Order: sequence, then structure tokens, then C-alpha cells
Amino acid sequence: MAPTTLDTVLTRLAADNATGSLRVGKDGTVYLTGGRVSYVECTTTPGVEELLTTSGRISASGVRGIRQAAGPEADGGDLLIEKGVLSRGELEFCVLGATLDASFFLLRPAGTPRSRFKEGDTHWLGTHWYFDVPGLFRECERRSARLERAWPSAELDGEAVVPVGRLNGGHVLLTAPQWELVLAADSTATPLDLARRLGRPAYSTLLAVRELAAAGLLATHAASGPDTADVPAALPKRTPAAQSGDASERTHPPQADAADVNLLIRLRDALEAL
Amino acid sequence: MIGIEDCLSEVMSIPGALDAVLVEPVSGMAVVGSGTPDPARSAAGLTETFRAALEGIALASPEGTVRIDTMIITTETSHHLIKPIEMVFDGPLLICLRLDLERSNLALAQWRLGIITDQLMAH
Repeated sequence: MAPTTLDTVLTRLAADNATGSLRVGKDGTVYLTGGRVSYVECTTTPGVEELLTTSGRISASGVRGIRQAAGPEADGGDLLIEKGVLSRGELEFCVLGATLDASFFLLRPAGTPRSRFKEGDTHWLGTHWYFDVPGLFRECERRSARLERAWPSAELDGEAVVPVGRLNGGHVLLTAPQWELVLAADSTATPLDLARRLGRPAYSTLLAVRELAAAGLLATHAASGPDTADVPAALPKRTPAAQSGDASERTHPPQADAADVNLLIRLRDALEAL
Repeated sequence: MIGIEDCLSEVMSIPGALDAVLVEPVSGMAVVGSGTPDPARSAAGLTETFRAALEGIALASPEGTVRIDTMIITTETSHHLIKPIEMVFDGPLLICLRLDLERSNLALAQWRLGIITDQLMAH
């Protein structure tokens, strides 16, 4: 039997208008409602529960209470709204964001993880947003392309985030997520660690890290050790106008070319001949 | 209290509304759209427009931080309004509305957008 990829499994479930949960290896779960994806959980990304608790909207025990009260009808999301934890719009956007974030990490691997479908199983939050299966895969691809555009190397994705000690330029422009990252970076936490700590989606954190790297604001291997200097040096630098040149370029004074001297001599001779 | 879908219908009921799309700007995805033939393309373009404006205005402002309330671009035929809604968890969510130049009232549209935003966030 040909190995079935996650893509084909989900496409088939969508065609069957399936409702239930698809457990993907040990990494996460995809919830479907009537053949559409209503929620995705992944162990590497913060879910709605974590986003709510780290933002201080509700305590962890508060979430547990609502989860128990939700029961098999799975209307936990409605309970959260009733209790004034968040608005309907916020809940929908939160579910949408958490689903996109988890999908990016869960659905991306090219391998064929073992998956198991549990008919009729629903998430305790209930259904608050839908994605069609092809649309979700398309979105993951677009997110992947966006990361590549920001900084085309996965070099820093799994490494500790280390901001540079000194700026190359006089000032720097940061977005709000980048500012939070720079503040929270302790030179040991990786982007995914920081995402959990800050209660931010993992993808947004990864993107902010790559943008900071492109702006020359993070220590890369090029700056830290001579052994690896040749590899990252080949990376294209997308440096905003605010930062003029990067450190490695500045340490080398311009090399004079011997040909220039000959040209100057010829020029001088020509001028004297006038 | 309204959800994202209701938010879109409310936005489309603003006098002179031609089309509208709600955008998740982290990846430039159209969350919901109405009246626009290709919401995905609109969303990608509007995200870039908003990002460029935010960066440019930050450079041009003497203050340390910049927050855009509404961005208004007037073309020969229409007004484009982009309103970022700060979300607690991630965001912002962009409400993007295109208004007919002749049949719309900019001040009224901005006031209505403010009310709709409050309804979306009220709990």
C-alpha cells in the first residue's frame, strides 16, 4: 500500500464531510467539523488556552473549570464569552490564529506521520472558525514563503536568540513583536521558547526573529566564530536603510587596486601633456 | 457583541461601500471578504500597503512610537480605508473598506468604523 500523506488523509476526510479529530503522531491534533478544519493543536505552538492564560485574561484553573463545565456538547468557547473573558470577535480571531500557527508546524513535515481519526470527537472550545483543507495548506505555504522572504535561512530558527550588543547604525525601527522579543531574549531561549514565554504565536515569533536577523540585530554564526564564517556570509542581507552596512563589511578597509595606480599615473601624464 | 462575519456585513452597510475585506496581516491572509473578486490578492496588497505606511510614518514622526488609527488613500474613483484593530493575542486585524468617491461620506464612514470596532471588541 502506498504511504498516505497527511495531505491525502485530510483531503479524504474533507470529501467525506467528516466530523472528528485526527491525531497526528505525537505532535498534535486536527479537528474537523463537517469536512472543514475547525481547530488544530500542535505541541510546539501555544493553543488558545495558553494564549488566554499568558495574556492574563484568565487563570489556568479558570480555563480548567470552563473546560470541565463545557461537557460533551463542547461549548467552552461560548462559556468563555458569557463569562466576559473575551469577545466573540476576539475568540474567533484567537481560534483562527492558533489554528494557522499550529498548522504551520504540524502539517508542514514532508514525511508520513501515523495518524488516527476519532469519529465524532470535538474540541472543548467548540467550533468558532472554519478553514477548508486546501485553503489551510495554501496558507501554510504562503507563510513559509514569507519567512524565506524575510531572511532566507533557517539557521536561527532553533538557536538561542542573541541580540547584538551594539547597533551598526544610529537608530533602529522595530515593530511591537520585535521589541518584545529583544526585551525577552536572554541569550539562552530559542524562538519557540520565547513564543511560549510571551504568549505569542510561534510563527509570528519566528518571523520577528528572521526580520531582526535580516536587519543585522541578532548575533549570527558569522559574527561568533571564524570556523563557520564562510557559510552565513553568503546569505543575502536585507538591511533597511537605517542600518548602513553590516559589521563584517566595515572591519575590512577598502582594498586599493594596483590598476588604479597605473590609471592615475596615466591620467597625470595626460594632464601634464596638456 | 458581534463576530467577524457580522463585522464584515456591518462594514459593508456603511453608505458608499464598494467592497471590504478583513485581513490577518501576519501572513497577509483574507479572513473574510465581500464584493471583491479576489480577496486573497486584495489582502496581500493591503497588507503590504499598511506595513509600508507604518514604517514610513514611523520614520517621519518625531514621536518614538506610532499607532495608526485609520489609513485613508483616495484614488480617482474611490477611498480606501484601512483600520487596524489591536488584538490581545496577535494581530492586528485589518478592516479594509473601499468606498465610492461620489456616494460616500468619509467622516461618517470613519465614525461607523469606530463603532463597529467597539462592537467587535466589546465583552
